[in-house]
Amino acid sequence: MSKGIPLAEALARYRPDTEIGPLPELTGIDALLNAHHPDHLRGSLVKLAVGANAGDSCQRELAGLLQAEAFIDEADLAGTPVTDVDVLVIGGGGAGCAAALAAAENGARVLLATKLRLGDSNTVMAEGGIQAAIEPDDSIQRHIQDTLRGGHHAGDPALVATLAGDGPEVLRWLISQGMQFEQTSSGDLHTRRAGGMSTARLVHCRDYTGLEMMRVLREAVIQHRSIEVLEQSPAVELLSNELGQKCVGAVLTSMLDGRLRIVRTRSVIMATGGLGRLHLNGFPTSNHLGATGDGLVLAYRIGARLCELDSFQYHPTGLLHPSHLAGKLVTEGVRAAGALLLNGLGQRFIDELQPRDVVSSAILRECKEGRGIRIDDQHAGVWLDTPRLERAQPGLLERQFPNLMSRTRVAGVDPRLEPLLVHPTLHYQNGGAVIDVNGATTVPGLYAVGEVAGGIHGRNRIMGNALLEIISFGRRAGATATADRDRGPKKVTLEHVNRLRRALTLAGLPMTQRAPQVLPDYATTGGAWNR
Amino acid sequence: MSLTTHEKDQPVALTINGLAVNAPAGMTLVEAAWHGGVPRVTGVGCLEGVCGSCRVMLRRGKEVAVGLACQTFVEDGIEVIFLPPASAPQHHYEISDFKDSWDIHARFHKIFPEASRCRHCHGCDKACPKGIAVEDGVAQAAAGRYREAGETFFECIMCELCDAACPELIAPAHVGLFSRRITAHFHLRPPNLINRLEELRQERTETCRNGDSEE
Repeated sequence: MSKGIPLAEALARYRPDTEIGPLPELTGIDALLNAHHPDHLRGSLVKLAVGANAGDSCQRELAGLLQAEAFIDEADLAGTPVTDVDVLVIGGGGAGCAAALAAAENGARVLLATKLRLGDSNTVMAEGGIQAAIEPDDSIQRHIQDTLRGGHHAGDPALVATLAGDGPEVLRWLISQGMQFEQTSSGDLHTRRAGGMSTARLVHCRDYTGLEMMRVLREAVIQHRSIEVLEQSPAVELLSNELGQKCVGAVLTSMLDGRLRIVRTRSVIMATGGLGRLHLNGFPTSNHLGATGDGLVLAYRIGARLCELDSFQYHPTGLLHPSHLAGKLVTEGVRAAGALLLNGLGQRFIDELQPRDVVSSAILRECKEGRGIRIDDQHAGVWLDTPRLERAQPGLLERQFPNLMSRTRVAGVDPRLEPLLVHPTLHYQNGGAVIDVNGATTVPGLYAVGEVAGGIHGRNRIMGNALLEIISFGRRAGATATADRDRGPKKVTLEHVNRLRRALTLAGLPMTQRAPQVLPDYATTGGAWNR
Repeated sequence: MSLTTHEKDQPVALTINGLAVNAPAGMTLVEAAWHGGVPRVTGVGCLEGVCGSCRVMLRRGKEVAVGLACQTFVEDGIEVIFLPPASAPQHHYEISDFKDSWDIHARFHKIFPEASRCRHCHGCDKACPKGIAVEDGVAQAAAGRYREAGETFFECIMCELCDAACPELIAPAHVGLFSRRITAHFHLRPPNLINRLEELRQERTETCRNGDSEE
């Protein structure tokens, strides 16, 4: 990418007080998405050859993992210690904690296994907020409509209605767990309007909404008498019954010593999150280190149907500078508060509060067509005009966005004085495992909640629906999984792995790659986890 | 490291977990550990200073400090040790056990008996990577000022480095979180949310009643 306006030149041209011309009219959203959204990059899609989605389109790098060889063989299971629990939750983010708490409240003995530290997840980094239709001029119906429209009408209306309908009750539950939210002077919950919303619906805790949620849920899980937590323990395979048709447990490993452990259970709740750390199509990511799509791989191998495997969210405002924060987010809340996007010529080029896929595509267009700000041969971006926002509303950044300020302060960058250089970053997996309104996948005994599940956000998630989804569906799955009164498995097998191996051989696919990924390659040098 | 100044590419020599590492200036300690192939660095998560996992002990000459590896940049001669994860907390409470807010202060001192024994050594203040006035926050909680204490701990990422630093085993991070949770649990009653919940409840009752009459 050698096109673009050199940084020094763009900086010299930039003034926080210049008059900005009118916004060019937005015509042909579909054409813009088709031409510039990374989902439509030529060569980035393939057809799956095996599994429940055989014949469906799938992003190329993800397809490689879904159709890969397993790590575990029957021989590995002999002599491996076995743990029996009622419900196994895989994943220690917001969805996993909500599911574990709901299962425990319903009387289950719960084991929560997580790859990293409990709470170390994308939830903790969520800044903007959580959606719930609580304002007098708003309604559950409008929340449903906005969500479906934002997702280009590809979402499942029943799931969306469930999500929106749960909103107010989810807030009440979070408050009862001890989560704080921003209030107005009269004590109402403060709401903002963000991209894709027809009215103000975003409830938040300054720009630390996810951190506030995660530390409360993490403490609640740690303190709960019926929940045991295993950290540094990624799942490397699920277990099935003799027919390979029901999920009856999982195989965990330890990042510290590599030892295996079998967990036998009535139900498994998959809450492993997304896959940003696969860096699809070479993009940077906002995601935490463990977001490698493990849950999708394991669910697919045991036969679960997935959806929208060709649709990912690239968040418009990932940081391009400072380099150690490359790909990390500037919350959409900054744009919701009024910050503009400017190209290297100092012009606005898109309504900043269009849905994320539209704004991202517009930024990519500016960069591709030479109006971006170039920092080196490979990288260009656009301005997020924070100094102008600060001039218009002095003190706002410090007051409402302490997280942004403290992250940039470490690197000596002050968003009040200089605009931030941003570029779209791989943020969210729109699709995932197909679920019903209680998080049940198409495989008996297996539930999926949070980012690993699909069907709610269609082909584009709007802000604030992820934090709502993880609690709404997390709690539903936890309660439903506990009510499963199956007396538990007699035998745990790897029948589903054998089935997939046969299918791979028949399809003539190589079995050289192994999955799940567990950690990105650059983070595995010399560790106990070394593929 | 503002946009206009150029990052130097000069390599910096440091040690991580006892291994010599050469890393370009401008790298964080996490990036340097990966760059240098340092084994068994498992406590890495968000890479932006909010998950509190990548806790490190830092030695610069005779001075010892703690911090977060993803928020600290390489320096010449610095010795870095990645710390093991914190052990499980020693105090126990479930928020659903609290029914009455009048006895909360007595219960706080039962759950955190150490909180009133602060010796003002400032160990926690020095350990905090977010610059929180930890000692003040603990004093506010011990005096029953939970709203204030919770506000003091607002930016706490639960890295628990203050817990490790406290000679009286106070667990300040958890004191702060307790203060925040109690405040929301007992005092956050937003009218707009309450009104909507009531509307939805009435709608449900109505649907149930209509459903009954149809049968």
